Amino acid sequence: MESIEHILENEILPKVTKPLRYVGNEHNSIKKNWEEVKLRFLFAFPDLYEVGMSHLGLRILYHLVNEKSEYLMERVFAPWTDLEAILRQENIPLFSLESWRPLTDFDCIGFTLQYEMSYTNILNMLELGKIPLKTGGRDETYPLIIAGGPCAGNPEPLAEFIDVFVIGEGEEVILEMLDVIARHHEVFGKNREKNKLLETLASLEGLYVPSFHQTTHKDKRIVKRVVKDLDESYFPLKPIVPYMEIVHDRIMLELFRGCTRGCRFCQAGMIYRPVRERSGDVLREQARQLVKNTGYNEISLTSLSTSDYSGIAELTKSLLDVYEKQKIGLSLPSLRVDSFSVDLAQQVQRVRKTGLTFAPEAGTQRLRDVINKNVTEENLLEVAEAAFCAGWTHIKLYFMIGLPTETMEDIEGIAELAYKVLRRGIEINREKKRGKQPRITVSVSSFVPKAHTPFQWEAQDPMELLMEKQQYLKKRLKDKRISYNYHEAKLSFLEAVFARGGRELSDVLLAAWKEGCEFDSWTEHFRFDKWLKAFAKAGVDPMKIANKPGDIDTVLPWEHIDYGVSKRYLWEEREKAYGMKTTSDCRYEKCWDCGVCSGLDVKLSIKNEKGGRECGNQN
Amino acid sequence: MVIRIKYSKTEEGRFLSHLDLMRTMERAFRRAGLPLAFSEGFNPHPKVSFASALAVGVTSEGEYLDVELQEEISIEEIKERLGEALPSGLVVLGIKEVRERKKSLTALINIARYNIRVPLEDSVKDEEIFEAIEQLRQASEIYVTRSGKRGTRQVDIKQGIFRIEGKIADSNLELRADLQTGSEGNVKPAEVLAALDRQGRIFSGKQPRIHRVGLFIIERGEVMTPMEC
Repeated sequence: MESIEHILENEILPKVTKPLRYVGNEHNSIKKNWEEVKLRFLFAFPDLYEVGMSHLGLRILYHLVNEKSEYLMERVFAPWTDLEAILRQENIPLFSLESWRPLTDFDCIGFTLQYEMSYTNILNMLELGKIPLKTGGRDETYPLIIAGGPCAGNPEPLAEFIDVFVIGEGEEVILEMLDVIARHHEVFGKNREKNKLLETLASLEGLYVPSFHQTTHKDKRIVKRVVKDLDESYFPLKPIVPYMEIVHDRIMLELFRGCTRGCRFCQAGMIYRPVRERSGDVLREQARQLVKNTGYNEISLTSLSTSDYSGIAELTKSLLDVYEKQKIGLSLPSLRVDSFSVDLAQQVQRVRKTGLTFAPEAGTQRLRDVINKNVTEENLLEVAEAAFCAGWTHIKLYFMIGLPTETMEDIEGIAELAYKVLRRGIEINREKKRGKQPRITVSVSSFVPKAHTPFQWEAQDPMELLMEKQQYLKKRLKDKRISYNYHEAKLSFLEAVFARGGRELSDVLLAAWKEGCEFDSWTEHFRFDKWLKAFAKAGVDPMKIANKPGDIDTVLPWEHIDYGVSKRYLWEEREKAYGMKTTSDCRYEKCWDCGVCSGLDVKLSIKNEKGGRECGNQN
Repeated sequence: MVIRIKYSKTEEGRFLSHLDLMRTMERAFRRAGLPLAFSEGFNPHPKVSFASALAVGVTSEGEYLDVELQEEISIEEIKERLGEALPSGLVVLGIKEVRERKKSLTALINIARYNIRVPLEDSVKDEEIFEAIEQLRQASEIYVTRSGKRGTRQVDIKQGIFRIEGKIADSNLELRADLQTGSEGNVKPAEVLAALDRQGRIFSGKQPRIHRVGLFIIERGEVMTPMEC
């Protein structure tokens, strides 16, 4: 009898596309002796390896847990459909990358929830791991199923499948959680008294046990966990370096968490508050070690809005001065719309040429005021001019359609703005006597109302209207120098349903997965007809969830989940949106009392120049 | 200085594609702190050239690459630092300085030697197998289908099969083959296997194990390795 390992390696993996997705053994990956640890944790990413390995949260948690001698963490990703078919046919359970053990060998499995349309993959992975999908169907012998990440902001659609949700920043709570589980094993024995264990876990701050919510814990609020000082927090300096190319294949230097620009549609801008920076010296030292330990030739300065880092010019310059000789480049993934950002991007070009992307988000000043995107047309044209003058010939612009109060005038505004930028490019190229034509890419996504944002009460535009707006732009942007792309409206509709819906969606999810839905965010696998069947089967009207507005008295499915930003503040922001009143950034002007700093005992932490500022201070 | 590295691709590294290998090598060189020389231009890359690409799934104990360094550095030191920096799928077997580089590695090499183990169909008789090998040796032309950017085409690989020998062990055919490689042309082991069993009666259909023993240079009847020239 050949071992499963042998069959996998010799017969199965040679037949699938990109076998490196499944074999592990990468530089800096960690294989521990199973007999020498108290707990075995499996980090599960419900998408392909190349997507999951690009996720900073995985890098942080994997190394944080593995640095503890008493625990181990391994990884598993969603297998692509070719491997899945073979696993099913040969009846081989889904296995971890490090030790090639089946999912059922682990004590806990933690799924990360990065986007709603990965939920069917979670069910699929559990089933491939031979684990009953619903919490009620799993007795003590099965691993504890945990989930965390931004989509845990509305955990209810997954409530029937997940034992424990982690709300907030995982590195703050994961070791505490593992200690509790390990102690439980010591006292009661392994695989015993699951209910008692869940009770203890539910008493930890930031942990949500959905099976108790409708019974014993009805009024309990679950408050997010938050890292107070990024300089003191754990950051992996020997991250895994994959053999195969991944989506973000570079060093990620995390400059800060949180963003207080206050865009009213943006979930990240609300749930990761307050802004907490890492100081320049800590970042430079981390960069030094990461370069040495990974061998990457690029450092990405990551955050939600990198040009807002208080010491960005100095940091960029000092890193380039050290790494230019070694041809290690920098990249700035998120730039503000201002000419300072173009200066920065120009600096960075000293090593490698990069593209330029800006996000005005809306086409008219009126609508930009509604969403609190404090960018003017003048800002954008200045930026375009600076960029074209500096030698860029291609600029990408991001917009969103379907925003609250939007009219066709705002859609036309997107087209006009794109043409204005293009004309500026043509003029400059003519002045500079360049033969090359400028190119503009216009990417348009559709607004999805998200939990914990000022727009959580808003209705999404009906799909037909979104498609009409998309088609309008398609007709208007028929210049060969402009490329136009937009997101599938049906997918945005489902995102809205799962972003705003409640526990009734568990049955829909189950039905959709049974219909064969998986990898929904991959165009080639997305089957809207199957989803509609699933809604019908479960008796849920998706339009009532996505396309119906709520008001202040509506009880939201995520009412009990608390990210520190008060409901009162969110509603005020919504009212200001309809009054076209903007709200300034509390880093630069006054505190608007969103509730995070006072409620969670944290504060805004700016590490360069200005130093930290107190919140609640009205000056 | 230019150094030539002989390395192996182990069981753990056998699923690396050529692109994966190139990326992994650059990162290992950087971790080892080698003073790499770079190309000019918008996207500078280190000056590394590989002898021959190895197909995904194939192991090897005789791969070569040349890499240019900006500064002189002792071979012993490179060996030590690189050994630590490489991931488990790749192992350094030897390093030498290339003082005079007349030709690129790809232009130098022309033979790839393989050991191939193919699981056999239960019903197949030994004579049938030996006959198939003999037919391959005697054929004046052997056409195989290659697919490229412009669709598929028929290619005669006969002149690229320099030597082929086989023996049977534990219901496997163990082949030893010297096949053409380098800038003049390439014959893939999989093509030879396809030509051996056109009716699909000999091999069981289970995956073959292919191992490259080495890359060689044949010049005026003399066979050398890239480390010897």
